[in-house]
Amino acid sequence: MRKFYITQNVVKIMALSGVLTSMLACSVNETATVVVHDDGNLTQTIESNSDLLAANLSIIDTKVGFVGELLRAQVEIRNASGDVLNFQYKFKWLDKSGFEMAIGERPWHPISITPYESKRVQGVAPTLEVNSFTILVQD
Amino acid sequence: MKLLQIFIISIGVFVLASCSTKISYGDATAVETTTTGFGSTDLQTIAEKLVDDLLVFGPIVRLTSERRPVVFVDKVKNKTTEHIDTESITDTIQTKLLKSGKFRFVDMTTVKAIQEQMKFQMDSGMVDPVKAGIFGKQTGAEYMLYGNMSSIVKRRKDKKDVYYKFTLKLVSLESGIIEWASEKEIRKSSEKTLF
Repeated sequence: MRKFYITQNVVKIMALSGVLTSMLACSVNETATVVVHDDGNLTQTIESNSDLLAANLSIIDTKVGFVGELLRAQVEIRNASGDVLNFQYKFKWLDKSGFEMAIGERPWHPISITPYESKRVQGVAPTLEVNSFTILVQD
Repeated sequence: MKLLQIFIISIGVFVLASCSTKISYGDATAVETTTTGFGSTDLQTIAEKLVDDLLVFGPIVRLTSERRPVVFVDKVKNKTTEHIDTESITDTIQTKLLKSGKFRFVDMTTVKAIQEQMKFQMDSGMVDPVKAGIFGKQTGAEYMLYGNMSSIVKRRKDKKDVYYKFTLKLVSLESGIIEWASEKEIRKSSEKTLF
């Protein structure tokens, strides 16, 4: 009888862990949105929710510039946790009207950041119309 | 006895459920890690990295600021032990470069089809001569994109490490000078675990 209860508890814990893992996986957090205005000024909005990555990752620097009319963005991401973080990121490029450019063409990139370190990721806009971007991360 | 029957039925239902085929659509841009072999994520990453590198290279930025140079894409040599459709990689690169509005391309794979169509327009007598295309009006390429793909594969017991290197170069057809080159390296490893 005792053995049965232990087995039942183990199954419950495993089921709960499974549900938690599936909830954590594939969650997308928009971490930073940068808009380049016509006068050259930038507006940066950092959004995060209380997810695992949002709690441990932070955007510490954003650089934006035009190379031959194409917007180039460089983002420095910091891992504030004591563990190696493996996640994926991708850039979402938007035009002046907020339309996303090259929908479905920009891949997710796997990346790994060691504890308390930061890494720079870079992207170039796919078309000349782009004037803002958002970087997305997911675990 | 009843418990045993329930158990057997449960197993049967489980087996039947696990045998059914489920088809679903996925995100084509998602990270794919099914095997260490060359996959869609590698193709997309290589294309994006090399296109970005080319578009921000100083001399290329200056070159493309006033006009859109005409480029011809040669084959990428596959020096890996895998069968990799390198034309698919160069197709993606070409598409991205075209969409950037900085380059134009001539397609050598369609030369025969174009020739046949032009012959039809000129010789068949079915096309209005005023509206028919004329031979000798095509634009010649100024640059050629070509490259190599190589890999190093190492195995030890249950561990496997695969290293890919993709090199792309842009050469001036007239001078033979390599105007730009870039590489993308990818390391993938797998380890068999108990669970």
